[in-house]
Amino acid sequence: MKFDRRKFLKNFGIGALLLTLVGQIYTWIRSLFPNVSYEGIKRVKIDEPDKIPDGVTFIDDIKTYIFREGKTFYAISGVCTHLGCTVKYVGLSKPKVVKIGGKEVEVKWEFHCPCHGSKFYGDGTNYAGPAPRPLDWVKVEVSPEDGKLVVDFSKKVSQNYKLTV
Amino acid sequence: MAEVKVNGKKLVKRSLFWTWAPRSEKEAGDSIVRNLLLHWFPAKVTLKSLSWGYSLWLGTITATLFLILTLTGVVLMFLYVPSVERAYQSVKDIEYVVSFGWFIRAMHRNSAHLMVAFVFLHMVRVFLTGAYKNGVGAGQNRPLNWIVGVVLLLITLLLSFTGYLLPWDQLAFWAITVGTNIAKNAPIVGEWIRFVLLGGYEIEQNALIRFYVLHCFFLPAAVLVLFSYHMWRIRKDGGLACVDNLVLNQKKEKITDGIKSKTYSLLGLTTGRTVQVEATLIDEEKYTVNSIPFLIRRIGIVMLGTFVFVALISLFIHAPLEEPANPNVTPNPAKAPWYFLWLQELVAITTIRIGGFVINGAFVGGILIPGILVALLAIWPYLDKSSNLSTGVWFSKERTKQNIIFLILCFFVIVLIIIGTYMRGPNWEFYFPWEAWPQLPKKF
Repeated sequence: MKFDRRKFLKNFGIGALLLTLVGQIYTWIRSLFPNVSYEGIKRVKIDEPDKIPDGVTFIDDIKTYIFREGKTFYAISGVCTHLGCTVKYVGLSKPKVVKIGGKEVEVKWEFHCPCHGSKFYGDGTNYAGPAPRPLDWVKVEVSPEDGKLVVDFSKKVSQNYKLTV
Repeated sequence: MAEVKVNGKKLVKRSLFWTWAPRSEKEAGDSIVRNLLLHWFPAKVTLKSLSWGYSLWLGTITATLFLILTLTGVVLMFLYVPSVERAYQSVKDIEYVVSFGWFIRAMHRNSAHLMVAFVFLHMVRVFLTGAYKNGVGAGQNRPLNWIVGVVLLLITLLLSFTGYLLPWDQLAFWAITVGTNIAKNAPIVGEWIRFVLLGGYEIEQNALIRFYVLHCFFLPAAVLVLFSYHMWRIRKDGGLACVDNLVLNQKKEKITDGIKSKTYSLLGLTTGRTVQVEATLIDEEKYTVNSIPFLIRRIGIVMLGTFVFVALISLFIHAPLEEPANPNVTPNPAKAPWYFLWLQELVAITTIRIGGFVINGAFVGGILIPGILVALLAIWPYLDKSSNLSTGVWFSKERTKQNIIFLILCFFVIVLIIIGTYMRGPNWEFYFPWEAWPQLPKKF
């Protein structure tokens, strides 16, 4: 091929222009991906284990239900696994016996989602509506400093992870 | 006005105003062609295109609604503060403190709802008249304009959706929660899209400002660009599709008094065989009139009617404002705006379970089914093999089958909307409209 100065300069010019544009556009798009998150708290310190009421308590800031059964504590996320609405706790007037994973379990309460009607048993197992999987369980810890309970929403744990104090 | 005065004052007047009563054909044509506001209209227009019954003027109504939305939207921009702390309060001020604030907001909100409805109706009209089909002109590409229309429909929905978040009330917050979680279920890019849309993982300040910029600048600018192209293509395609039909029918008739050679085409310049040249076959005196005053007057009437209608209903139908956004409490039931309720209904009923294998309804109902519907809409003109005699005719016999399929799909969407609006109660359970909803405890 003959070396053509005219053609070379033309292609070089257009190429440089395109490259500049692409570079610019990259900076614009990249800037929209935040490097630092100032989003709300994921870890909440609640109270001393003794002061937490028996039964269920809703922790506002992390949309989580914490349960106390005597000396045992566990927490279930209130975020529906379908599309992220906050599920509602529904106490049952009469406990009912259901089969969860082959075992018969007595449930005293359920979770219902207001957005699309998903329903979960007391342990978070989904049984009706569009939710594809059970509600997440989140970690309950005892703070080493003051012995208060800490619920960490960012730490998902397996179902039936319970803390006995 | 008959003579052209090249005198500064006269020229400005002629380029912004026009005569309503042209005294000659030339003056009628000139007042379109030389006018900045009107130059994109043809100088002559067929009576069929002008009629109420062919196009139903749905596109013009839609464009007028967009104009109202732009005007009221700019006013609202002066009054609204896009910050998580102040957004709700500023909307409340617009509603209860600012003079006429409630009215401007109602105009904006009602126009937005009507625009969604009229874009849809416009699409139905174009479909049923086979107006996305090419006719007799050279260089026509109506299928492309149909696709532009489908994109405009999607942008209209996005505009509504982004506007929804701005009041930062409960309705806003949960609609956006559900909406962006649907986006998350798109394969591969889902998480990524949600992250960049929200500017994080939660609906907070980043999300609000992003939706605000999309709503006030990015999406309206996109509409403006595509609208311009939409209009330009109509001219390139030789006007409304009914003109092609007229030309075809003319050709079938025996031409007794010879072919007329006179043409008042676009700006007097026509290259190639455009419809305008073909259209010289049309008996102009019989089938066409000057755009000034006939077309412009009718556009004016439609705009006036739309303005008056929106203003009147806005006196009675106010834009709602719920409690301030509370990420902890989902209202029960939590419903999307009506034009998204069919999607909400779909995501609620389409989770598929095959043994232990589960596909989230958010993917099936929120991404897959709407995706298929949009793709089907976009390629339909290329699947439609009817002859060009079906171009620009209501309910052409050749197209009966596809019209029925299309109407069934529309009907299906409308039924889902009605179920979602009137028959879904707390926990998205089914209630007939006359059934009372149970009282639910406030706690949790």
